Amino acid sequence: MKRLLLQIAMLAAVVLLFAGFNASIYVLLTRRLSNNFSDTSQAKMVDVASFLPFEEDSDLARIETEFALTGDLPVLDGAAALVPVYASIIDSVYPAGCVTYDGGVFSDDNYYGENFAPDSKMQYKNTVRGYKAIVDGDTDILFCAAPSAEQRAYAEEQGVELVYVPIGLEAFVFFVNRDNPVDDLTVDEIRAIYAGDIRNWKSVGGENRVINPVTRLEGSGSQSMMNAFMGETPIGTKSPLALFGGAIGFSFRYYLDDMVDNAGVKMLSVNDVYPSRDNIRARTYPIVAQFFAIYRADNKNENIPRLIEWILSEEGQALIEACGYTGLF
Amino acid sequence: MTDSVFIRIFIAVLAVCLLATAAHAIYAIDAYQRCSIIYFIGEELW
Repeated sequence: MKRLLLQIAMLAAVVLLFAGFNASIYVLLTRRLSNNFSDTSQAKMVDVASFLPFEEDSDLARIETEFALTGDLPVLDGAAALVPVYASIIDSVYPAGCVTYDGGVFSDDNYYGENFAPDSKMQYKNTVRGYKAIVDGDTDILFCAAPSAEQRAYAEEQGVELVYVPIGLEAFVFFVNRDNPVDDLTVDEIRAIYAGDIRNWKSVGGENRVINPVTRLEGSGSQSMMNAFMGETPIGTKSPLALFGGAIGFSFRYYLDDMVDNAGVKMLSVNDVYPSRDNIRARTYPIVAQFFAIYRADNKNENIPRLIEWILSEEGQALIEACGYTGLF
Repeated sequence: MTDSVFIRIFIAVLAVCLLATAAHAIYAIDAYQRCSIIYFIGEELW
């Protein structure tokens, strides 16, 4: 009997050991990995259905203007964070009925689950697929941050010259969990963290905890911006154990603060300057980036320069501001 | 239970636990590459 109890205890110990290990990994890591294909993560990404032009209940900025496009209407596409901008532009100057939204269904070919009809003047492919679409001629104007080296190279390989017109300003921001006691980092500290030279929050005035510098999908607008921010300094490799450390991430202010608006994170000041719109406009925040309207130089659609001229006008810049971004002027 | 029976059961239990842990690890690695980093950081424990 004693021998049987010992054997059962050994089996139970093995099961409990694995159960405890997996439960720990789940609490520390897995429960935070909301997959892009899940309903939770879908809600965390841009909900294009909330930004459809010509819908009364859309979350779009609206301004009064006499400018109106007719004829060959350019197809607009862009990054997730700029959906409100180009959707508001369509809403303001395009004729009603030019956007056909078929609803979001996830599939291998539709990573973000956002379907527009092929003849719709509004499309949504986000940055990586959007750059390919503008080079391939599937889109007329792409609203995005600066391209990655690979995206520039793809355009060159295809023999396509792209024109990049800055249309607004945006802060590139760094964020941490709201309970992380660190509120400010210097530019040099951030570079050192991502280079792997600073690996513990204690080194920058925080708690004694490993830093997990999180990066994003290569080719995305924010990762391209991060690569530019790092300059000649390569992003270092991190220990697998950093996954369980205190994380730091990066994004664009509008996407983080206005679109996702997750109360669990906070933006950091950089060099003691908070990324507020006033500080972006005054350029006192040290990492201010432009975002662009991008089109093919050989695109003959006469409405493209007309539309971009309007976007750079007082009315167009007011619309950029009304969308939550910072205008150029 | 005889030793041979116990060892067989022990190996079976161990195999199931290892498989479950491996599946958990594979899911975590895959999900980490696709997850929303804002959600990932927002749910961090301090």
